[in-house]
Amino acid sequence: MSKTWKVLEPYLLSTPQTLIFLLFLVVPIAMIVMVSFWQFNGYAMVPAFTLDNYIGIFASKVSLATYVNTFKYVALVWFFSLAIAFPVAYFLAFYIKDQNVQIILFLICTVPFWTSNIIRMISWIPVLGKEGLLNQLLLNLHLTQQPVEWFLYSDFAVVLGMVHLYTFFMIAPIFNSLMRIDRALITAASDMGATGFQTLKEVILPLSAPGIAIGSIFVVTLVMGEFITVRLMGGGQSASVGKLISTQIGSLQYPLAAANAVILLVVTLILVMGILQIVDIRKEL
Amino acid sequence: MARIRRRDFIRAGLAAGTILATTQCAPKQAEAPLGTPNNPATGPEVNANQIKDVTLRLIGTGVSQINEIRNKAQEDLGFKLSMRALSTEENNQIAITQPGQYDIFDGEYFSLPLVIPSGSLQAIDTQKIKDFDKIVSIFTTGKFDGARVENAQGTSPYKVMYLKGKDSKEFATEATKWATLVPFQYNADTLGYRPDLVGKKIESWAELFDPAFKGKTSILDIPSIGIMDAAMVTEAAGLMTFGDKGNMTKEEIDKITNLLIEQKKAGQFRAFWKTFDESVNLMTSGEVVLQSMWSPAVTAVKAKGIKCVYAPLKEGYRAWGGGIGLSKNLSGIQLDAAHEYLNWLLEGWVGAFLGRQGYYSAIPENAKKYMKPAEWDFWYEGKPAAEDMVDPFGKTLEKKGAVRDGGSFQERMGSVVVWNSTMKEQVYLIQKWNEFIAA
Amino acid sequence: MALQKRPVSFYFLTIFFGLFVLFLYGPMIGIFILSLQGPDGGLTFPVRGFSFYWLGQVFQEQRVGSFVEAFQRSFLLGLVVTVLSIVVSVLAGLAFRKRFLGARFVFYLTISSLIVPSVLVSLGIGIAFQVLGLPTDWFSSGLGAHLTWTAPFAFLIMIGVFNRFNPSYEEAARDLGASENKTFWEVVLPLIAPSLIGVGLLGFTLSYDEFTRTSLVSGQDNTLPLEIFGMTTNVTSPALYALGTLTTVFSFSIIIIAFVAFQFFSRRQQG
Repeated sequence: MSKTWKVLEPYLLSTPQTLIFLLFLVVPIAMIVMVSFWQFNGYAMVPAFTLDNYIGIFASKVSLATYVNTFKYVALVWFFSLAIAFPVAYFLAFYIKDQNVQIILFLICTVPFWTSNIIRMISWIPVLGKEGLLNQLLLNLHLTQQPVEWFLYSDFAVVLGMVHLYTFFMIAPIFNSLMRIDRALITAASDMGATGFQTLKEVILPLSAPGIAIGSIFVVTLVMGEFITVRLMGGGQSASVGKLISTQIGSLQYPLAAANAVILLVVTLILVMGILQIVDIRKEL
Repeated sequence: MARIRRRDFIRAGLAAGTILATTQCAPKQAEAPLGTPNNPATGPEVNANQIKDVTLRLIGTGVSQINEIRNKAQEDLGFKLSMRALSTEENNQIAITQPGQYDIFDGEYFSLPLVIPSGSLQAIDTQKIKDFDKIVSIFTTGKFDGARVENAQGTSPYKVMYLKGKDSKEFATEATKWATLVPFQYNADTLGYRPDLVGKKIESWAELFDPAFKGKTSILDIPSIGIMDAAMVTEAAGLMTFGDKGNMTKEEIDKITNLLIEQKKAGQFRAFWKTFDESVNLMTSGEVVLQSMWSPAVTAVKAKGIKCVYAPLKEGYRAWGGGIGLSKNLSGIQLDAAHEYLNWLLEGWVGAFLGRQGYYSAIPENAKKYMKPAEWDFWYEGKPAAEDMVDPFGKTLEKKGAVRDGGSFQERMGSVVVWNSTMKEQVYLIQKWNEFIAA
Repeated sequence: MALQKRPVSFYFLTIFFGLFVLFLYGPMIGIFILSLQGPDGGLTFPVRGFSFYWLGQVFQEQRVGSFVEAFQRSFLLGLVVTVLSIVVSVLAGLAFRKRFLGARFVFYLTISSLIVPSVLVSLGIGIAFQVLGLPTDWFSSGLGAHLTWTAPFAFLIMIGVFNRFNPSYEEAARDLGASENKTFWEVVLPLIAPSLIGVGLLGFTLSYDEFTRTSLVSGQDNTLPLEIFGMTTNVTSPALYALGTLTTVFSFSIIIIAFVAFQFFSRRQQG
């Protein structure tokens, strides 16, 4: 085995992966940045250098409102998915001793992901609609006189749909970091007289922070660019940056969509950096 | 053969976890839709052997990218068609940006001011279209017995029907030998409503903004169409006036989108829809009781046994025209096949098929040959149904004695006052429309 | 330890977990019921009739489009994506067992793919192909888009796997005179095989259900999720729900098979 080969080996081995990401991630994003300075003539994009797309976005009240609305979704979905994911992951990691049962329960949480996300989303419609199951139930129990309208085609529905789809991305990393906690630490804490809540707060929470951070990054990223849930559950009425971009793509305004995409990317990266500032996730990797 | 085997394999895979699928696995043959006379095959005359190997790729909306039509065409013509159903937006998007992805563009006339300059289509030689001179005059001359439609605003098909020359990208104002699209379906659109939930007769576009229907209305989210509905509504409600609804100024666009945003903020709309079946679901589920609608959506609601009226309104209709364009990539035997397909489309079977869900055929007299007299009287003459009316998929739409909303072909198409439009300020309109949707 | 407090918090969390499972499956029970309607069934309640008609319809051609061909495509694409992800990530994982200049760059490049909102990947690849004048297709641009989503996950898992990998097995093999190649195929690979099943399952799941990244780049043929999305706007029948019912049943059976396989491999590894 020659020396050169030994030196080159890691480079050759990592080349396929690097190539994939250069071709399908770096080049496309560079293209987006380039096109965001182009012009649009009504049906096609024209190479140029103009800041009009960006100026248009920053000058419009609607884009600001759209970003605010998107942040609202991010905050709500993040909060609820964490509030659901932590107890679920905690339950799976600490209360289920048998590894087989653990895997089975984990798979039960996974199976719905094999059914198309879109079908899972539209499956809420017969439940939440004006004549849906939930409203039928409420009407029959005389809890309400009128069908409740904000169940569907509302911000509520959008957040519900996203929590439904994305909580799993929070569960998996938290579960992972909880599993790595040395059980002796917990025993030690309780031996020293810590209550269950104190142990949770002082030992488990800090040690699971990297998992929470990774889950948060997933959820934030997914929700920031989301447009399908917003479209289907919001009845076309709710706004998000992703949906704005997809509408602009729909009307062929690629340069404008590209400019919006660049801003979206910057904002998302700032959020992710923010999370990374608070929690060091490196030991999780 | 390999292909079939692969498909069967996949079917078997899909069936593995299920109880019954086995009985359904027989390869499906083209089946002749119900209630239609036999169609004499217009067999290919030239290149009879090679043309069998041709596959034409079609793009269009779900309105006419129907597998029954494809199966019938394949049976009659002897070559293959692949159909791809898209939303109106995607359809135009692909027509403009990906001419390599399709051979035949089944699109609307209003898209032409964008599609033609992109150079994705080739001019159609009208002399190769056998029945071109039989096409309804709305398309070929812009005339219609002096009815309102002759002065309708917007992108009326006649204005974009012809090109100045074979390779021209400019529309001709007079008839020429070169056509942009060959029309085959069109209709007069209006508001649809659930009489059981609305409780009164809807006679004006203005009703869409009636606070009585707060949270129960919908408008379609396709800028070039939705804006025309919105224009009809705001004008009828006396909220604003227009110089030309089909060519709004920037000020008019600002004003109308502000009005729409006000309504949206006040909670007037329940949802927006992009394709006609979304509107069906909104209507059948009772989420929406009054909304912009397309004809097959109304028939689809009725086919589920729910009453739905396609209201004739006093201000008149908003119309659309759909036709077939040829990709610039078509040549030789493929082009011959495309011409055969065009002639087949106009021949009448498709006209009758689509007519049973309320569309009009470009050559009504041809469609008549394939319709029962009772069907013709109901759909085109506005007469009471002499028997139960059945849609192309075999579901009963109307009981005996029912009358088509809006009456006869002459009455309905004659009362068209606007067409779906691409305006001079299109880029600005789309920007403002997106703001309305996002607001 | 937790055991002592079991009575209170254990039952509380069990109920919470139960509610979560109900939340996950609840709406799907609705569509199971709706997919068993008669031929006149619609997309919403009330239920109209009872039959297996719509389950059978899934295998037929729909009024517009067809599930079967789209499923075929998605299945094939999922397999290719899975295999490529595994190969690429195992190679990269092996590379990362040594320190090398640029390792950080490769690492962050890979991870950033998860952080970039999906719509950008789709738009970017779409624009890139358009500018270069290449046609988009599910097996070219679509494949690339899927890899940007599956490969980073596969890579992260492989890094974890190799971190925990005990090199003494390899050393033993080498001491016994096995070549580098032979060591990999006969020692390393069997040891990481269970993890590869995991990577494969995850990769296939992510690819099979990928929508956003594919949405602008699948070209003239739709993958299954795109076809389904097209149908939510074009179809008013419960065929969509029937598909949901069938895929869930199908997924359960696949998962059971995978679970058994996993057990089999890990037992072999231990033994």
